[in-house]
Amino acid sequence: MHIPDGFLDLHICAITYLATIIFLVFAFKRAREVIDEKHIPLMATLTAMFFAAQMMNYPIIGGTTAHLLGGPILAITLGPYAGLISMTIILLIQALLFGDGGIITLGANIWNMGIIGVFIPYIICLLILKIKNSKNALMIGIFLAAFIGDVLAAIFAGLELGLSTLTFPYSVPIAVTAMGLHHSIIGIGEGIVTIIIISIILKVRPDLMNIPKIAPKWMGELKISTMR
Amino acid sequence: MSRMVIVGIIIAILFVFIGTFWLYESTETFDKIAELFGAEEQSIYQAPFPDYEIPGFEGNKIVNIAIGITSTLLILGVTFIVGKALRVRKVKR
Repeated sequence: MHIPDGFLDLHICAITYLATIIFLVFAFKRAREVIDEKHIPLMATLTAMFFAAQMMNYPIIGGTTAHLLGGPILAITLGPYAGLISMTIILLIQALLFGDGGIITLGANIWNMGIIGVFIPYIICLLILKIKNSKNALMIGIFLAAFIGDVLAAIFAGLELGLSTLTFPYSVPIAVTAMGLHHSIIGIGEGIVTIIIISIILKVRPDLMNIPKIAPKWMGELKISTMR
Repeated sequence: MSRMVIVGIIIAILFVFIGTFWLYESTETFDKIAELFGAEEQSIYQAPFPDYEIPGFEGNKIVNIAIGITSTLLILGVTFIVGKALRVRKVKR
């Protein structure tokens, strides 16, 4: 889902850069207030792991491949602001060193994968746990969070593509439908892997799920370590 | 270094090996759709290691693994530095 340079109109790039910078300012501000020694190794380890995980491409439909994004796990374990910072580091290094995603489109890529792909899963998980606070609800919440987060990130990418009328002479519905359909398959994979990884963390190191989340104050805490 | 970080690095290196030897074919949906729509990439910047390869050593699995591991450790280091910098600023406050 890394959009290269030349695929989006400049005004779309400018809008997404601006929106992304605003989120990043809030993320760094909040991280400075909340971050402690427990966050740093976990954040660094998960960021490195998901960078490596993005190198594995598995086949899906129509001869295309997909890879994990990792945003949902980052959001659920560390909080969405920390997830955004982690995804920004990944996307920046991918663009600068490997040409994976453009420089002008970096704002759009961070918006799609680092904001939509991170905040939406966190919000969905919070909402589901508000409705029912149990381990089964958590697992359903994690799956839905990862699935919807992935699909929405793809839909945003399609939207940006469709609105780039100077580059793509096609309408928004075509681009959004194509991206959304393909990424619903990817979303199922992301959902399953997210459940597996969170379950392993809950079994092996439940304390890691208990560290304060780096999230907007108004969103509240996602507390899942003591769930039965 | 904590056990968690070491286990994380080992898993990440495992991902690099899997991504180098088995799951390396990449045809992202986005590229396919762009191709269908006739969009072309217009790079304004030449990355030093395009497509995770060193120019002149394309397809060399050993080099690919070295790049994968080095860049994973780079990401680990950069995130540690960002985290520490944020923590220092918190302590100062």
